[in-house]
Amino acid sequence: MQKGLKLTDILVTIVISIAFGILYKIWGPLYYAVKPFGLHIDQLIYGMWFMAATVAFLIIRKPGVALLAEIAASSGEFLMGSEFGLEVLLYGLIQGLFAEFILFAFRYKRFDLFIISLAALGSCAGSLIMDFYKGYIGDLSTWNLTLFIVFRIIGSILFTGLFAVSIAKALEATGVTNLVRSSSKKDHEALDQ
Amino acid sequence: MNSLFSGKYTWLHSINPSLKLLTILGLFILAINIHYLNFMVGFSCVILTLFIFGTGYSYKQLLLLSLPFLFVFLSTSSSMILFGKGETILFKWAYIQISEESLIRGIHLGFRALSFAILGLIFALTTKPVMLFYSLMQQLKLPPKFAYSFMAAIRLIPIMIEEYQIIINAQRVRGIEQKNHLLKKIERLAIPLLSQSIRRAYRIAVSMEAKRFQSNRKRTFYYEVGFSRNDLIFLCYFFVLIGLAYLLSNHYPFLPNTDVRYLSD
Amino acid sequence: MTSVTSVRNLRLKFPGESKMLFRDMSLSINRGEKVLLLGTSGCGKSTLLQVLSGLVPRTIDIPMKCDDIQIPDQWGFVFQDPDTQFCMPYVDEELAFVLENLEVPREEMSSKICSLLKEVGLELENIHTPIQHLSGGMKQRLAIASVLALKPDVIFLDEPTAFIDEKGTEQIWETVKRIWKDKTLIIVEHKIEKILDFADRLIVFTPDGEILADGNTSMVFTHYKEKFKEFGIWYPGAWDDYKREPIMNNKKELPNTMKLQIFKGYRNKEVKIVVDHLVVHSGEWVTIMGENGAGKSSLLLALMQLIKTSGDYFINDVPIRKTKDISGLLYLVFQNPEYQFLTNSVHDEIIYGLKNDQEIESDVKEILSSLELTSKKEQHPYQLSVGQKRRLSVATAFLQKPNILLLDEPTFGQDSLNTFKILEMIEQERQKGTIILMVTHDHHITERFATRLWEVQNGRIVTDLQLNKGGNVQRGILHEFII
Ligand SMILES: Nc1ncnc2c1ncn2[C@@H]1O[C@H](COP(=O)(O)OP(=O)(O)OP(=O)(O)O)[C@@H](O)[C@H]1O
Ligand SMILES: Nc1ncnc2c1ncn2[C@@H]1O[C@H](COP(=O)(O)OP(=O)(O)OP(=O)(O)O)[C@@H](O)[C@H]1O
Ligand SMILES: [Mg+2]
Ligand SMILES: [Mg+2]
Repeated sequence: MQKGLKLTDILVTIVISIAFGILYKIWGPLYYAVKPFGLHIDQLIYGMWFMAATVAFLIIRKPGVALLAEIAASSGEFLMGSEFGLEVLLYGLIQGLFAEFILFAFRYKRFDLFIISLAALGSCAGSLIMDFYKGYIGDLSTWNLTLFIVFRIIGSILFTGLFAVSIAKALEATGVTNLVRSSSKKDHEALDQ
Repeated sequence: MNSLFSGKYTWLHSINPSLKLLTILGLFILAINIHYLNFMVGFSCVILTLFIFGTGYSYKQLLLLSLPFLFVFLSTSSSMILFGKGETILFKWAYIQISEESLIRGIHLGFRALSFAILGLIFALTTKPVMLFYSLMQQLKLPPKFAYSFMAAIRLIPIMIEEYQIIINAQRVRGIEQKNHLLKKIERLAIPLLSQSIRRAYRIAVSMEAKRFQSNRKRTFYYEVGFSRNDLIFLCYFFVLIGLAYLLSNHYPFLPNTDVRYLSD
Repeated sequence: MTSVTSVRNLRLKFPGESKMLFRDMSLSINRGEKVLLLGTSGCGKSTLLQVLSGLVPRTIDIPMKCDDIQIPDQWGFVFQDPDTQFCMPYVDEELAFVLENLEVPREEMSSKICSLLKEVGLELENIHTPIQHLSGGMKQRLAIASVLALKPDVIFLDEPTAFIDEKGTEQIWETVKRIWKDKTLIIVEHKIEKILDFADRLIVFTPDGEILADGNTSMVFTHYKEKFKEFGIWYPGAWDDYKREPIMNNKKELPNTMKLQIFKGYRNKEVKIVVDHLVVHSGEWVTIMGENGAGKSSLLLALMQLIKTSGDYFINDVPIRKTKDISGLLYLVFQNPEYQFLTNSVHDEIIYGLKNDQEIESDVKEILSSLELTSKKEQHPYQLSVGQKRRLSVATAFLQKPNILLLDEPTFGQDSLNTFKILEMIEQERQKGTIILMVTHDHHITERFATRLWEVQNGRIVTDLQLNKGGNVQRGILHEFII
């Protein structure tokens, strides 16, 4: 019907992202607990920061949703005065763009685990680029850097891929997704009987 | 927005929010291009000064807000200090290797993370979200459907937090077992929270359209957000002081003044 | 007379449902009419309002078709839930949002906002008040003010007083009558007492979404009274005609007691409810009444140990201090049923947490059919109508067989048949020895079923009255307390 995102799509996407913002606050302690060791255990759960994008996309299934979700999630954190303040905004933008790009490459037509994991890897790549630039991670010793990247990739696939798909499935079962999807032609034809 | 803390209304609150946001993003980009520790420290001081004297919060509140910074500083610098590349070895034990270069680079990263955190906090503490989005619509032409969606969603935050509490309670009443593993537990909470939020967002969007909201139509604004002399002061503050910090750090370095990046040749 | 909104041969079916909600339904409403739509819970009234206002299918995508539809040019919609109709944080900003949509110049906004608020009787010291600080009734009046700003000719109202106390309900309807005297109003409401004198046309639906009757108020009520009774639609005097079947079950099984002494419930460290000294025994049915925000829900949450409490609290002489202490003893039906749903179908929801044996299955069947949920057995709880959700959450409570049953407004949004049924089931539990504590805004229930009344005001129980069940003497007294 209409092209682009409708008001309902936008508002729902943003609210999903902010709900994730709240969940992050709950998971936050977990992240802090494992972070300061320098051995990058924290990277294993880093992927949860990109989850909003894939979950929102799986629910609404329209172009632009993944990008919007990442921006909304990060600006939510930014406005709430997160310790990682400003950088999350730019990280969000880059991660969202990369995920969006992958989904675009498949014409927004596929919603399976494979594509979602690819999008997760996209976000992961985006975040790594930012880290190289901002965090000098290229200057870590090689074994440590490898550990860092591998952990983050695993984490991305685990959370942004697998866990997001499972959450979206569970949401689908609640029927809430029907609200934001267009009705199918079949449903309209059923009215003629 | 930060209901926990409320401070005085200061000149920082009166800065045009779009301008404030762009300036802060500009400073962010500047900061990731600073590779000399002395300048980084100076830069951080400029920002810290504004944070302490400009935001209108009591020192006690500021101290409370700053506690996580110590953590940000340590966590950001530690892995670089312990595992970074470098030639001049100061300490070595198993995989841990602290070199002079990695130590300096680690501290540099710590300051960088610190200044980002403070910049973000300055913005969050002195900007009302509603004003930010009105300003983004007026100065940066953000389409109203995005701006109002953001404002509606921000209004929902406290409602959602309360809802989260209620869901936990309601599930307890139904005698839900707590022994499940973590992911299952998160999912059990995440699903009702998300599906409730989606429904709520949807109803709000419907009621917005029922109130004749149309994104592409011209609209008037309840709040006109403009510019004032304070905006100029704000820009000058950073220009002058950061310039000063740059000059001082070049002429009177008090720390080793080398490029912190690992330049192997 | 000219029609302002109409639809011809409407067909509408939710995706995945087997039956159409509407099948070739036609309806036309004329300028200036005050129409009241009546029907059993779940017959499709809310959906119809959305169709007539054009929200379906433009904003809400539900498959529908019709030969012809006329949507009013200038319309407004007041929704049921006070919390999901606003997009801005402050009262003035919310009204300004509407004025912005209408391109009202900025300079005129402040005075317009003030006059709108005055018109709906929402006098605030400061118009820049957070919406969250308003009571439910005030929120609904704000919603009416924002609809008023649209200058609508046709106004749709979908149970705007479902969550509101009696006083608030009266005030809201008074406001509506005053400001929209000569507009077209299309109203869905179960609590009809306060608006019947105002409505001049009734449209009554059968449970299958067909029009049963359509005409002026007195004609419909005189000719169709028997049908109203049969389907369980509210009509004036429904309570008086209601004869409770005597339930024969006088053997008390469990003698339960609950004792409270200087018992306090806290929210955000503030005391929200105080109970000085109360003892409740088996066989008692306490209704808890009071204005919105008085602390009724807080009292139930405190008893459930879901908010922080202090003081002495005993059940059957065992002290209660933690949530764990009450497991199995108490069960609470929350004010908002949606929060309690854990599974993906009505059936699973009911058997959740029960030991699955043959006997239970037959209990489940019985409760589903007596609350008219059998046909919805496989549906997702969230996809039910407002009243159906409420019934499902009540049904889950009965099978848990607690010693003390706490119910937070278990009958809101129900038609008469279901209201009576829920009440009878509670009565049955009471006779088995279960202590019943029930929050309600409906004085009919207190008069006919309760054995005891607590009135809550500003976080205190100010009245504790023993009632002689069904005794007429009490009614007069009650009115003084409630109105
Ligand atoms: N998304 C959905 N999917 C499937 N069925 C639905 C959906 N939403 C509503 N229904 C069903 O459509 C019917 C009509 O719902 P509606 O909300 O219009 O009822 P109602 O007459 O307003 O009832 P109430 O008085 O309880 O509010 C109900 O039986 C409900 O179960
Ligand atoms: N989660 C909360 N945190 C803090 N205060 C709350 C919370 N929920 C309610 N309150 C406040 O506690 C008081 C009592 O609220 P409560 O919900 O118990 O009222 P109620 O009598 O059940 O009203 P209603 O008839 O509207 O359901 C009110 O002043 C309300 O604003
Ligand atoms: Mg309804
Ligand atoms: Mg309540």
